Amino acid sequence: MAKPVPPELHSIFDLRPALRNLRWQMDAVAWVQLISVLAVFVVFMVWPLLLVSYRAITYEGAPSAYWFGFILSDPFYWPLRLTFHPAFPFIALLGVSGQLFQMAGNTLIVGAVDFGVIPNTLIVATLTTALSSTVGFLMAFIFARYRFLGSSVLRIALLIPLLSTPFVGAIGLKRMITAQGVLNNLFAGVMPFRVEITGLAAMVLVQTLLFYPIVFLNAYTALINIDPTEEEQAENLGASGFRLFRTVTLPLATPGLEAGALLVFILSLEDLGTPIIFAGTSAEKVLTYQIWKRFSPSGSISEEAMALSLILLAISIIIFVAIRKYVSLRRYAMLSKGGAWHPRSSKLSWTTTVGVYILILGTLFVATLPHTGVLLLAFAGQWGSSLLPDWFTLNNFVRVLNGPNFVRYIENSFIYSTAATIIIVILGVSAAYLVSRKKVVGMGSLDTLVTLPIAIPGIVIAAGLFLQFLASPISPLVSAAPLLIISYTIRKFPFTVRAAFSGLEQTDKAMDEAAVVLGASRTRTFFTIIVPLVLLNVLAGGMLSFIYSMSEVSTSILIGGANPPTAPWTYGMYNTLYGLGGGVFAAAAMGVLLMLLQFVALTAANVILRRRATALLSIS
Amino acid sequence: MVKIEARSVSKRYGNVRALDGVSLQIEDGELFTVLGPSGCGKTTFLRTIAGFELVDSGKIFFDKTDVTMMPANKRNAGMVFQNYALWPHMTVFQNVAYGLKARKVPKNDVKSRVERMLALVKLEGMGDRSPHQLSGGQQQRVALARALVINPQVLLLDEPLSNLDAKLRLEMRTEIKRIQREMGITTVYVTHDQEEAMSISDRIAVMHQGKVVQVDSPRDLYFKPQTQFVSEFIGQGTFLRGTVDSKEETYYLVKVGELTFRAMPADPDLQYSKGETVLLTIRPESFRLDASAENVMLCLITQVSFLGKSQRVLAELGEEHVVIEADPATQLVAGQRLKVSVEPAKTLMIKAT
Repeated sequence: MAKPVPPELHSIFDLRPALRNLRWQMDAVAWVQLISVLAVFVVFMVWPLLLVSYRAITYEGAPSAYWFGFILSDPFYWPLRLTFHPAFPFIALLGVSGQLFQMAGNTLIVGAVDFGVIPNTLIVATLTTALSSTVGFLMAFIFARYRFLGSSVLRIALLIPLLSTPFVGAIGLKRMITAQGVLNNLFAGVMPFRVEITGLAAMVLVQTLLFYPIVFLNAYTALINIDPTEEEQAENLGASGFRLFRTVTLPLATPGLEAGALLVFILSLEDLGTPIIFAGTSAEKVLTYQIWKRFSPSGSISEEAMALSLILLAISIIIFVAIRKYVSLRRYAMLSKGGAWHPRSSKLSWTTTVGVYILILGTLFVATLPHTGVLLLAFAGQWGSSLLPDWFTLNNFVRVLNGPNFVRYIENSFIYSTAATIIIVILGVSAAYLVSRKKVVGMGSLDTLVTLPIAIPGIVIAAGLFLQFLASPISPLVSAAPLLIISYTIRKFPFTVRAAFSGLEQTDKAMDEAAVVLGASRTRTFFTIIVPLVLLNVLAGGMLSFIYSMSEVSTSILIGGANPPTAPWTYGMYNTLYGLGGGVFAAAAMGVLLMLLQFVALTAANVILRRRATALLSIS
Repeated sequence: MVKIEARSVSKRYGNVRALDGVSLQIEDGELFTVLGPSGCGKTTFLRTIAGFELVDSGKIFFDKTDVTMMPANKRNAGMVFQNYALWPHMTVFQNVAYGLKARKVPKNDVKSRVERMLALVKLEGMGDRSPHQLSGGQQQRVALARALVINPQVLLLDEPLSNLDAKLRLEMRTEIKRIQREMGITTVYVTHDQEEAMSISDRIAVMHQGKVVQVDSPRDLYFKPQTQFVSEFIGQGTFLRGTVDSKEETYYLVKVGELTFRAMPADPDLQYSKGETVLLTIRPESFRLDASAENVMLCLITQVSFLGKSQRVLAELGEEHVVIEADPATQLVAGQRLKVSVEPAKTLMIKAT
């Protein structure tokens, strides 16, 4: 290496080299790309969020911490008070209502405890993350390290929960875990009492069952990407068993594990679907639900909701930035040379296989409870408190597909999601190209900006868009279409941009340089070399953006609710459940159709990308 | 065809000086090699000529034209990348035709020119193949054809042979030289392999830590290295540290410990004064295994490696290490004392660093 030289002081203040470099790197097309991406994110994400923040920190027009004082002193949000006693243990925590376990008649009620809105939100997210990580990592380790009969089939089966969002899953799971639910009927003979899981516990359960595959996928990828020689070296030096796992395997897999866990934490924070389904229990006392409830369909906005939004936003962004930084600091560049290797895996003995099967099938049984519930409901003709529906029918689907309202909801969703996906693909490829190929100061910030939507709870984006555009020509009161397309574009942007970026990073820069040096303009290079080379990645990423737009809940319900005729699919489900629609069976049927669509799209994305698909659910 | 000139070109990445005032003149039609260890700045230099890197200061000329700020796609340079960078979504024909299409060459001309170029690199009839159906050597030829078909003013080669196996490397080396001669194109060749550089180049620039340390013909680089770095990098050698005693007509007398050597200054223009510390460098094959030449040493053999056509002897002379190439028939073993000698003309004196 050339010898390092100390930075010259004057060069730090001299902007000319930077400007010269900018002129050199950027051409007209790159400028158009950069300005389009920035414009969309500034106008539709940064500005609305600033507006939310501004409203949250003002009271009657003047800067003030009034709303935060109000929230923190209201026991509803923050009931925890430390009281000092003269006697041991000197301090006591007040304000917790309800109990975690409570017998009512012959029913054990689990989870009706309530710590207040803000503590509830954090507790649920923390527990969900811990449980999802434990289950996800355990499963990842088993599948990465052992071979047994049917392991590849079971590995795919464990990903089934990805086919549903909490909103759909909660509808199904609720039917399974109430006092008169399927599980209690199933185990009525062996259990001395009935168990009802409700409130915060139900929320943690729904989220854990639906989110653990994210950790599973990330950790599995990390584990099979560990160079086997690194573990063999450790064994060669005398480490084995748990010591090997603790000192080499786990540290090498940690970045993957943390990336998955972070995503779960944020998805849990922003989940609005589960509290809506479990409304009426302590599950509704979380930030998302409380913000949502403070919006009226006419468009009036409570300032309290703005302050709550800012609190929720701050929590998720702080966690996101902190962990992302922490993870990237500890990302171990794999020192080994390239080349294919066979991940270390050993064959299990007969008896251990049986044990592993019991563990995996048990996990699968619990993990598919939400989907089983939705399916049963969707095909139910009538269902009282018996184990299974009284009779099965296709009528729910017939009603959904024949009803003019239902079809309109589905059509709306298709149109908005398609429009959003087209914008996402165009801008996403542009952003990924700029970040990957233009060595200009600040491109790293562009990367953060377009990945950030992962960390922004949907309800907060919805609040910001509502606030900013309520009185504009694209007001949600006139039509939900413009704001929903915008919201889907912003919220589902990261899936495509990450996919395109990873495609570009895997494509040698010499590929585009070879074209440029042969006389092709940068525009020509972009369309004839770069786009074809990352097309598969972009298609798969676009597919995910599309499918997650179709199943998006927070903004769909809030913005769609302002103008129901133009509302999308998930609002339709909500309205079917709680409005003048067709009740839980029809809503479940809509949920099943949504799952089916997700199944098709995810399978297609998987086929296109094969093993690379796993990278798409990673935030890193 | 053009002459390339770099005038005190500098480029830094953060606190690392990749290019530190590099000035070079590459003559019209010359095969010019930039040689150096990895990280010496040779690839950065090539990329500034190609137009991929913007220099911090200095200028680059193609003949009289200042191309310093000219975009890469306007420079009319052909480049072959280390990993060839063949586009997997195009056939061989499409790969080669790309530059012509970008130049809006009429379709019929494209076809004939591509076919002529494929013939030149001995790939007739392979146009419909995909790059991944070709062997490494064939991919290399496609990359060469793609770079040459546009009739570039300069040809830039970035470690083009490093991905080939040893045998193919020898073959392609001759090929590149043949094609370059046939087209008479000004060529800049970047490599870290000194043998490759010696065999192919008209002239070689040796780079070290972002600086050009010596520009010379392969022969002069080998026999008249100006610095220890060049001497070590180009072939092996023995280095003896000594002090100048006195000057004769052509030679200097240099004291190394108890011994006195008669040595030839590598750079005849440099003047050395009495008492100055210098390095004597001797190539392994310059030693005679007897006392028939003037500079005689008695060393202790520490290791003998049999190489077939010769044997390499590592020995000690006091504190210093000596590398000797000897006739394979001679019986030599470690621990044996060996008297060797070198002619003064082959005992080169360079500045000590």
